[in-house]
Amino acid sequence: MSDPSGPPSERGMFAKEAYLSAEIVRTPVQAAAVREIAFDRAFVTALEAELSMAYRLAGYLMADSAEAQDVVQEASVRAWRAWKDLRERDRFHAWFSQILVNVCRTRLRQLSKRRTLDVDDMDLESGDPFRASLARDAVGRALSVLSNELRIVVVLRYWGELSLAEIADRLKIPIGTVKSRHHAALKALRRRIEPVEGVAR
Amino acid sequence: MNRPEPLDDSDVEMDRLVRKFARDSRTPPLPDETAALPWTVQHQSPRASLFSLAPGLRAVEGLRRAAFSFVRLGATLAVAGTFLLVVSHTRTGGTGSDYIIAPQPTARPSGVVAAPDAPKVYVVKANGVVDDVMADYVSGAVQQAESNNAAAVIIQLDTLGGSEYAMRRIVKSLTARIPTIVWVGPAGSKAASAGTFITLSANLAYMAPQTNLGAASPVAANGADIAATYGQTEADKVMSDAVAYITSIAKDRHPQAVAWAVSTVQQAKSYSADDALAAQAINGKASSVDDVLNQADGLTVTTTSGQLVVHTKGATTVSVSEDLVQGFLHTLDDPNIAFILLVIGVLFVAIEFFHPTLLMGLLGAISLALSFYGSGSLPLNVLGVFLVVLGIGMLILETAIPSHGLLTIGGIAVFVVGAVAYYGSPGPYLPTVAVAWPIIAVMTAAATAYGLLLVGTLMRMRRQPVPVGAGLVGIDKVVGLIGEVRADLSPLGTVYVGRESWSARTRDGSTVGRNTKVLVVGQDGLTLIVERMT
Repeated sequence: MSDPSGPPSERGMFAKEAYLSAEIVRTPVQAAAVREIAFDRAFVTALEAELSMAYRLAGYLMADSAEAQDVVQEASVRAWRAWKDLRERDRFHAWFSQILVNVCRTRLRQLSKRRTLDVDDMDLESGDPFRASLARDAVGRALSVLSNELRIVVVLRYWGELSLAEIADRLKIPIGTVKSRHHAALKALRRRIEPVEGVAR
Repeated sequence: MNRPEPLDDSDVEMDRLVRKFARDSRTPPLPDETAALPWTVQHQSPRASLFSLAPGLRAVEGLRRAAFSFVRLGATLAVAGTFLLVVSHTRTGGTGSDYIIAPQPTARPSGVVAAPDAPKVYVVKANGVVDDVMADYVSGAVQQAESNNAAAVIIQLDTLGGSEYAMRRIVKSLTARIPTIVWVGPAGSKAASAGTFITLSANLAYMAPQTNLGAASPVAANGADIAATYGQTEADKVMSDAVAYITSIAKDRHPQAVAWAVSTVQQAKSYSADDALAAQAINGKASSVDDVLNQADGLTVTTTSGQLVVHTKGATTVSVSEDLVQGFLHTLDDPNIAFILLVIGVLFVAIEFFHPTLLMGLLGAISLALSFYGSGSLPLNVLGVFLVVLGIGMLILETAIPSHGLLTIGGIAVFVVGAVAYYGSPGPYLPTVAVAWPIIAVMTAAATAYGLLLVGTLMRMRRQPVPVGAGLVGIDKVVGLIGEVRADLSPLGTVYVGRESWSARTRDGSTVGRNTKVLVVGQDGLTLIVERMT
């Protein structure tokens, strides 16, 4: 991670400003549309509240900050596209999480066709914050043995601190399935960690 | 956290470990791009959001675009159509008296002025493909000669053939009140296919030495080439029609000439001047127009005004040639030019698709129209045209579909095959022509370069992102941008917009505080007029 040149809020402000001034609106109709759309404050407020957790979940799920940024962006775009049709805006949090999880699953499926994520094999000096964070402990490294579906449950459960019922809602699967996956994930992690811990003791 | 199901000890231990690990995992600071997402997504897809504001708008936008391209296509066709109308009007309107007529001194001994009552003979040069243009000025010149009571009219013929309709018009015009003479000359000329019919139909026919008469085309004896295109029945019909026609023409000349004339059609035979003379098909050999005038003098011919004795000795010759428009249109009949025009037309129309500028499409449409006008008197092979267009299409597709050069190679091959087969086997009247090899080579190179360079560049240009935001200069670039108030507008203050600070005032004179977003709606000198974003 590059050294931040100022407090996060200020840097964020600069980025926003750059984007805001980038939009050229020429005709009165477009200007009116921009006035109508560009400052959908409710959306900005709602999404801003989600970004940090979304980035955290996506990052630990994909174990890659670039992938996490892509996923969060994709989820944000989808959320914006559907925003006008969203009736229950007070449910934004749950709704956005569902979108995010969906995008993550799709992306993970694409990635697993191409390569397997294995923290042990990864270049830990690459400086990716998520990878570095996972590699600091046997538990984090063990996460890489989990299949995509188990991994999502674990990340949502512990990094997202969601209840099993909430996970079932986000993934749109029965709670029984979530429970069994949670169980299977813990077992798999244990099998992976125990020999290591044994040596350590 | 609710714990819905009891876990066994080791799992509880694992649960605790992972929970602790996760809680200790810090969240890295959000990258700038991610932090800006709540704004950027709204700006990245303004159209999508505009449409979700009013779903009907998408349909309206689609309709507007469709209507726009429809109008443009219509305009292109209208202009091209007007052009063609003007051209055809010039052609038909030109049939009459406005020919460029240049009286020329005869080959009399110099110093001797022609007597005012000396006979006049019109000489019409008819070169190239027999087409409507040639029919226009030949028949026009014959009428001109008739109305001026000329002693005779001489058609100086050199052609490989042409369209049957134009040929029949010329043949008809050669039956006139005054004697008509066809002279195939000068040496090296030909009167092939349709030219044979014209030569034999005149009152008197002469050929220069080293000229040829008869079908130069290798049409199979049974008309197999026409059969391949139209079926055997049609081929038989065309052939027997042609035989009947040449029989009726030759019969008027000399009974002996009939069998000879039929052989030029049926066996596609070509004869020298001596052979034709021996068969009584022509009246004699003449090396020049003066020679023709001398030989024809004193002969008796049958015209529409009855039996006449030709008096051409010592006549003044008046040469008639095409006017500029006729010359231009006659040039289009050249097989190479018609081919080049088609290729250019297709390329230009294709440019219009990739890079709409109206001008290119217009030029392309005109070029195509001229090409097909010119091909009217040529044995155009539809399959050849199709292959040429297909080849160009494949060359263009290469830029859109990566085929590792396969489409380019295939396109070149198809194009060359199409160019070689561009003109098919002629019937009894059409000339035998082909596109010249150097022309094929040049046009192939041009089409390939076009596909790879031009269209490729256009596609790349189109994919390039529009540079927005960076390096905005000048006041007109700022109108329409969104800025942020730096110094309170009361109503005058400072606004940061387009990466610069501007003096600004609110439009309605209201007060706007710091850090408020404003939309630049106008300018007053160097002061921006802004509106508060709501």
